[in-house]
Amino acid sequence: MSGSVILETKGLTKAFGGLVAVDKVDLSIKAGKITAIIGPNGAGKTTLFNLIAGVFPVSGGEVYFQGKLLNKVPAHKRASLGIVRTFQHVYLFGNMTVLENVMSGRHPRSSYGFFEAALRLPKARREEEAISLNAIKYLNLVGLGTHAEHDALSLPLGQQKLLAVARAMATEPRLILLDEPGAGLNTSEKRQLSDLIRNIREMGISVVLVEHDMPLVMGLAEWVIVLDSGQKIAEGTAAQVQKDQKVIAAYLGEEVE
Amino acid sequence: MSSAQFVQYLISGITSGSVYALVGLGFTIIYAVTKIINFAQGEFVMLGGLLSFTLIHSAGLPLVPALIISVLIAAAIGAIMYLLAIRPAKNASVVSLIIITIGVAIFTRGIVGQMLTKDFVRPPSFSGEESISFLGAYIDPQAVWVIGTMVVVTIILHLFLNYTMVGKALKACAINPVASSMVGVNPKIMALIAFVLAAAIGGIGGVVLAPLTPISYNAGVMLGLKGFVAAAIGGFGSPVAAVFGGLLLGVVESFAVAANWGPFTSAYKDAIALVVLLLILLIRSGKLAEEERTG
Amino acid sequence: MLARLKSKWIYLPIAALLAFLILIPFEWFFAQYTTLMIFIGIYTIVTVGLCLLMGYTGQVSLGQAAFFGMGAYVSAILSKTYGLNPWLAMFVAAIMTGAFAYIIGYLIFRLKGNYLAMATLGLGLIMWILFRQLSQFTGGPDGMSGIPYLSIGGFVFDTSFRRYFLVWAFCLAVLLISQNIVRARTGRALRAIHGSEAAAESIGINVGRFKAKILALSAVYASLAGSLLVYNMTIVNPQAFDFLASVKLVVMAVIGGLASVWGAIFGAGTTRILSDEVLLRFGEWDVIVYGLILVLVMIFMPEGLFVKLKEVFQRLRFRYRQRGVAP
Repeated sequence: MSGSVILETKGLTKAFGGLVAVDKVDLSIKAGKITAIIGPNGAGKTTLFNLIAGVFPVSGGEVYFQGKLLNKVPAHKRASLGIVRTFQHVYLFGNMTVLENVMSGRHPRSSYGFFEAALRLPKARREEEAISLNAIKYLNLVGLGTHAEHDALSLPLGQQKLLAVARAMATEPRLILLDEPGAGLNTSEKRQLSDLIRNIREMGISVVLVEHDMPLVMGLAEWVIVLDSGQKIAEGTAAQVQKDQKVIAAYLGEEVE
Repeated sequence: MSSAQFVQYLISGITSGSVYALVGLGFTIIYAVTKIINFAQGEFVMLGGLLSFTLIHSAGLPLVPALIISVLIAAAIGAIMYLLAIRPAKNASVVSLIIITIGVAIFTRGIVGQMLTKDFVRPPSFSGEESISFLGAYIDPQAVWVIGTMVVVTIILHLFLNYTMVGKALKACAINPVASSMVGVNPKIMALIAFVLAAAIGGIGGVVLAPLTPISYNAGVMLGLKGFVAAAIGGFGSPVAAVFGGLLLGVVESFAVAANWGPFTSAYKDAIALVVLLLILLIRSGKLAEEERTG
Repeated sequence: MLARLKSKWIYLPIAALLAFLILIPFEWFFAQYTTLMIFIGIYTIVTVGLCLLMGYTGQVSLGQAAFFGMGAYVSAILSKTYGLNPWLAMFVAAIMTGAFAYIIGYLIFRLKGNYLAMATLGLGLIMWILFRQLSQFTGGPDGMSGIPYLSIGGFVFDTSFRRYFLVWAFCLAVLLISQNIVRARTGRALRAIHGSEAAAESIGINVGRFKAKILALSAVYASLAGSLLVYNMTIVNPQAFDFLASVKLVVMAVIGGLASVWGAIFGAGTTRILSDEVLLRFGEWDVIVYGLILVLVMIFMPEGLFVKLKEVFQRLRFRYRQRGVAP
């Protein structure tokens, strides 16, 4: 499995009216590795994620996941295929507890519907048990097991982000896209996050993250892709990319964080 | 259909379309500035009509002062609506705001019904009742007032939005509320102005419409709905588009009834607007969904 | 799972409430309120559907009376004009209304917030116009009469005593079913949609289809209620299904609590009592009061009156507990 390509994009393009946010980007994400996508603000990183997640249609090019063409697959079907993403602004379900958020993540791996729920049929009760147990497992994975019954929004930001990851992991993905997971976290929280991401990689899941925090990226990523103004300008190991002239030039045009 | 009949139906359509256009302008203004759909928009039209009737009949005011005061009262109610019902709701959800505007709408309707009258009222026409002959058809002079008023209001609005400081601030707020607040435009004041403006325009629509077709305290629902259709056709963007939408709706309605297609008797006339509404919403829904995701 | 967390103390007041409900129609108890309670039961059924729709998906329906009326008219027409068994007619009406709502929902739920409200408003008005205009089927503005009662074998639900139990059996069943749905995977999906549609989609929830399903469910509830209304009064006329009717339903949902299942009883109950007993004495001030209620409740307690009261009650209980007094 390792060494094979899990996600591929060919000539991926997205234009909003006259503005080209993603410009003919070719990507080849290796399975089982941690890949980082970096670039100055406005480089198109989140738009790229949105395209891979299927949030809006592509303007041109293709996305392939495990060899299968994703373009026409609606966003909500991609989770059951094995792609899940987290959001920059977290987007927890504020009207639920911590545990219920993770239980929601079991949605693509469970199946009972309105009818079975309404009458509390045995199938429903069995699946609910399984959902709870699995959810607790993923909650413990991110270290939030003791907070299960708390309101999701009562957690501090760092833990909310961990909860979002737990929720995403509950879908049993093969590929997880993390959108700026480190934003707003302090040093120890970032260390917790790095450990978690490495754990996830150990479980055989491929990770792609968009990040602005350079030390975090350089310490974690096995492969780095650099975007600027919607185009891929460089890729390589962390060390290679740091020395690349084009990358330095792109970042010089931006405020140092 | 003879050419005279054609002209007759066309004029009738343009006349009602002008009223829808005015209501649609109100919807567009409020939506553009505040992103709220004001379900009470139709009530401002109703207020214009009923107030002018009451002032002329019960208070004995002469025509022009009665019209002006009616519009002013409508505008004031728009301001009160914003200050008492919308602004206190702060960061209310879309659902809450919709329900609030509906609450205001039925509250206003109820008060008018109780305090003024529940009957259909028809204030006197502005310039007499004798029909004018035009291209073989007959126009009620009041209809000329309706169409003319719509044109004048649209022009004045256009000038206001593009050539005055306040108007330009309003427009800026509509296009980009964050940026405009950073250059000193107060979004709360802009919202207030939007409501007052929309209410005033609605009131104007009411005072010119009522002498032509009698209205009652219940007229707000249908007028509001049709004005919404006008604004929806125009995409809630530019006022001119809303005017176009209103006229289009009016004409389509008029000719659909004229053509007497199957069940399209005049009882179904109102349904036409509703069907158009649903069609537009469905057609636009695909585009809207994409826009909202990227917004 | 949550039920196990509640203490045994909750069963006492529930049993008392149930006993109270069962005893109402008896002569020596509160039989004079039987008719009022029948209406409260019927409207509760519609309200639950609306609460689920509006509360868990954040969508507004301003035309729920359309589904209410469809249920009423279809079952009236099928059982009176075509002589179909009333139970079957009720079932057919529910299926038709549900399917219709599902199709509409699937098309319309690509819209958000404001647009949906207008669309349902438009739909409600179209239905009302149809109810009044298709007189060869619906009896026009005067409606229809002589609709048969429901019956099982020889047992006819004709007296208000019998109809009371019929209606409340349905009502409690609907409430329990809704409770089950809310606590299950489906309920979580609905709450997820309300919490964040983008996140819900990312974890595999088909947002559009769920919204359509919940609209269909609310329509089925409304249709059942409409059928029960017709089999209760044996007449039907379009008055009960105009725009104001849809607004009153929203008032009931708002008072009951937009995301509350059991609050629906409270919402329907207070609104009916308000309109029947209180407001009718003061002329037609009901519209004014409803408008005021809608505005005030949404400004000060957007989660709904009942839910707010529950919160206040819980806070008081918490304070008592802290002082060492038993709950």
